Amino acid sequence: MTAPPTQVAPTLERPRGVSRAVRWWRSPWRPPRLLEAFAWLYLAWAILPVAIAVWFSFNAGRSRSTWQGFSLRWYWTDPVLSVWHDPDLHSALLQSLRLAALTTAVAVPLGVAFAIGLDRWRGRVAATANFQMLLSFVLPEIILGVALLLVITNLLRFIALGTTAQFLGLVTFQISYPAIICRARLLSIGRDYEEAAMDLGASPLRALRRVLLPLLYPAIFASAVLVFADVIDDFVIVRYLSSDAATEPMSVKIYNSARATPTPALNALATIMLVSSLLAVTLGFLVYRRMTRGERRGASGVEDFAAQL
Amino acid sequence: MAVRSSRAARGQRRAAAARGAWYPRWFWPAFAAPGVLWLALLFVLPFYVVLAIAFGAIDPLFRNPVPIWNPVEWDLSTLGDVVGHIVGRQAYLGPAVARTLVFVVAASLLSLLVAYPVAYFVARHGGRRKGMFLTLLIAPFWVSYMMRMLAWVNLLEGDGLVNRALRATHLIQQPVGWLAGRPSTVVLGLVYGYVPYMVLPLFAGLDRIEPSMLEAARDLGASRVGTFLRVTLPMSRQAILAGMVIVTLPMFGDYFTNDLLSGSPKTSMVGNLINDAIGTPGQGGQGAVLVVLLMLFLLLPMLYYIWSTSRASREGTA
Amino acid sequence: MTRDHLDPPARPRGISRRAFLRGSGAALALTAGGSLLEACGGGSRRAQLSKAGPLLASPGHPVKWPIYPDNQPIAAGLAPERNATLKLYNWSDYIYKKVVQDFEKKYKQYGVKVQISTFNNMDEALAKIRGGKVDFDLLVPTYDVLGKLVQGKYLRPLNHSYITNIGQVWPVFQNPFYDQGWQYSVPYTVYTTGIAWRVDKVSQDVAKLPNPYDVFWDPRLEGKIEILDDYREAMSMVLLRNGITDLNTGDPAKINMVRDQLVDLAKKVQPVVSTNDYVDLPEAKVWVTQSWSGDMVNAQYYMPKGQSADVMRYWFPADGRGAVGSDLLAILRSGKNPVLAHLFLNWMLDSDVAIENMGWNGYQPPLNTINPKELVSQELIPQNLASATVLPQYFDSGFRQLELSPSVDSLWHDAWQRFKAGA
Repeated sequence: MTAPPTQVAPTLERPRGVSRAVRWWRSPWRPPRLLEAFAWLYLAWAILPVAIAVWFSFNAGRSRSTWQGFSLRWYWTDPVLSVWHDPDLHSALLQSLRLAALTTAVAVPLGVAFAIGLDRWRGRVAATANFQMLLSFVLPEIILGVALLLVITNLLRFIALGTTAQFLGLVTFQISYPAIICRARLLSIGRDYEEAAMDLGASPLRALRRVLLPLLYPAIFASAVLVFADVIDDFVIVRYLSSDAATEPMSVKIYNSARATPTPALNALATIMLVSSLLAVTLGFLVYRRMTRGERRGASGVEDFAAQL
Repeated sequence: MAVRSSRAARGQRRAAAARGAWYPRWFWPAFAAPGVLWLALLFVLPFYVVLAIAFGAIDPLFRNPVPIWNPVEWDLSTLGDVVGHIVGRQAYLGPAVARTLVFVVAASLLSLLVAYPVAYFVARHGGRRKGMFLTLLIAPFWVSYMMRMLAWVNLLEGDGLVNRALRATHLIQQPVGWLAGRPSTVVLGLVYGYVPYMVLPLFAGLDRIEPSMLEAARDLGASRVGTFLRVTLPMSRQAILAGMVIVTLPMFGDYFTNDLLSGSPKTSMVGNLINDAIGTPGQGGQGAVLVVLLMLFLLLPMLYYIWSTSRASREGTA
Repeated sequence: MTRDHLDPPARPRGISRRAFLRGSGAALALTAGGSLLEACGGGSRRAQLSKAGPLLASPGHPVKWPIYPDNQPIAAGLAPERNATLKLYNWSDYIYKKVVQDFEKKYKQYGVKVQISTFNNMDEALAKIRGGKVDFDLLVPTYDVLGKLVQGKYLRPLNHSYITNIGQVWPVFQNPFYDQGWQYSVPYTVYTTGIAWRVDKVSQDVAKLPNPYDVFWDPRLEGKIEILDDYREAMSMVLLRNGITDLNTGDPAKINMVRDQLVDLAKKVQPVVSTNDYVDLPEAKVWVTQSWSGDMVNAQYYMPKGQSADVMRYWFPADGRGAVGSDLLAILRSGKNPVLAHLFLNWMLDSDVAIENMGWNGYQPPLNTINPKELVSQELIPQNLASATVLPQYFDSGFRQLELSPSVDSLWHDAWQRFKAGA
């Protein structure tokens, strides 16, 4: 009597000659095939070029577009041009990792403290600080890079160009990432837990340390991972603030060589960079999963991780 | 005695909490202080230096820019020159500026058109595979921008795979010079580089839309398309805005995409103008002026974004 | 209800006293801050500006640079620095790594390591040296910036006792007009600037054209042209196209004409503007390029597998009336290893080392032991590119790009900026 009308197959209303294909297309419960195809196409378009570049880093010949056999020569067997043997590429790799580690170590604590402070502070100065932070997030990097170059070569001359200057510039650029991520997380945490802790007799600092920070760990971790990968990728600031070849990280080397005549050693270098970023992210994600064991929403923690970003 | 005083102390604290003066007044600002100081020194101060150089002098021997610190002595002639070169009669910087606008708008819109369906699909129809899709979507983030551009440079070379595929399928006879100053290559390069940054905010925004809202719309008789246009799209407005800001604003300062994908001045953007001017003796002041102008131009959308975000978060729709 | 008396008095219109004080306080702070920055930044604006105008050297007016009291050469007979990193700042792909490694081997007992940093054009190099606290030891400048570097005291004067190989250098370079008595530099390479093309892609013989430079403006070659990303070289080419042989002219009319023709070039053929011609031509990314002679000799090593380098040609006026130049090696004052730097200069002037270097980068060193006419038979220069040999007499008839005065340089740079902005 009350069979829901939606359960009736639409075919009863249609003439028999209609093909199954049309029915298949017009069914209201069909999964969105076009959309899905589009999404897969997008993923292929996004990932394939990189996969090809990685593939050619194992090329036995000098070409980056003609496959001449499999070989590890660009990684370490070639005595002159491989990443292992070429001191230029070596130093670039080390510089990238060094800058990433240093920047993460300083930008994340600064950013987290900034977020905590801003979240609870009221007043006009706080609003200005908030604006400053958001500004440094959306500003084109070239503006900051030029400004820093000018300030270091004209005013703060005691700072030498090179790793120190690059480190300072990178922290300035990256400080907003942890701040924004932690701010968002703080908004969802709210003040209840701290107030409960203080009702139970904890001092403000203790409440912060024992209650708030552990709740923030996922966000802190996510932002650390993000800053690390972002610094490895950074180009504009490190290029303006570099001094000699030893202070040029991988991104600058790739840029310099890509316009000349790169050998697949460049692909190899980029692949190594890719792998180190991926390792950092995977590690960070696994740690994040462990940390948020209790409050996970999705089946894997990926959605939560992405939601932090 | 001790019991009474601790009870009294607790009572005092509770009263203080009710007044909101629980923490000492310097507590929260102290947290933010290091960050504020850092930004003040290395973010705000450099902009003053940029102004000092933009309105400064030029060393006659080496022709490098010399800052003038005292605002009273600032020399605004460089500003006049640059503005004149952009919009005046002999405007030769104007085409690059106009071109940048066109490229950025085109690339942003294309990114949105590409990213939205993908984000929509993963958010609404991801189902059990959502995690896997997300991982794949986040993957380009961890690939360096340079490497992604390098990958395309490899593919688009004269004897690269793209040309070879096109010739093999007889779509073209001669290899096409993709990297020889084509605006389309640069725009597509920008899209390729920035679209991952658009997908994530869109996904986050679309994911937050309650399915019950959409079901309600369908129950009330709206078609698929109607639901999308009248419910999903407006509710994702904030996410679209966030995505556009994250993608469009940095694109204005991009110069390396053009450098890598096109060797020609025909496609130079504002970023190239700034980069060239900073590196050329005698033109450092012009570079600084361009930076100032770019900042001013971008300040408006940034302010709008910040205002819009804070309004949305107050209304609880973020 | 009369609560009016409880309300605070109405604010006066216009600016309140507090706002005024705040505003004027801010203005005062800004000015005071500005003066403070001035003091911190090192003196007033006037003190920071150099005295105007470098000494300009030219073949007709040779210059002997002064040795300043606060910039003296090092003493003779010093021992090389130990465990040092010798930093060389050079054009990219301009020195053979093996030559550098052999230097390290020769002075192995001192534990020397050489680090090569590169720049893409001279402006970039100058900006780095001027701007940051970099400590490069060696620089490969062109002589048109030598005056600026010497007067800015960025170069260390040479102590000739370390550089005994100077006797092997062409006489014209032992007492060059730009550095009489070779006090600050030694020559590194010599080259000409001409036109290179591929005969398998371009049907006409560029060398036989009435005005070979016109080939760059040929609309049939759209998208297949490359000119050098060097403002002096590119603009000199346009001057020579129009029969103007003064490549250092300050005549605004001539510079404007050059600018207009460059813009016309951009419209007609959309050239690639870069210094990678030695790669782009072999890979057929472009078919006609403006090139330095050494680049063309070098290009043979970049031909894709299976293709012969025979297809390339190089043209330079047979009577030597084209653009010629030379690059120098100089020691920077900011470097920490002056003795090793001197030894390196001496090393690069050794004829075996120089020939090995030429075998890799294609550029000819001006050494007496190298007979230019034999370079082809020695297969250092391929037969089809024999015109890329640099003969000493080219330096008598050829035209050089000399140092420009700042005001003239500014005109040249402005014209170049207009071209590069893609108008």
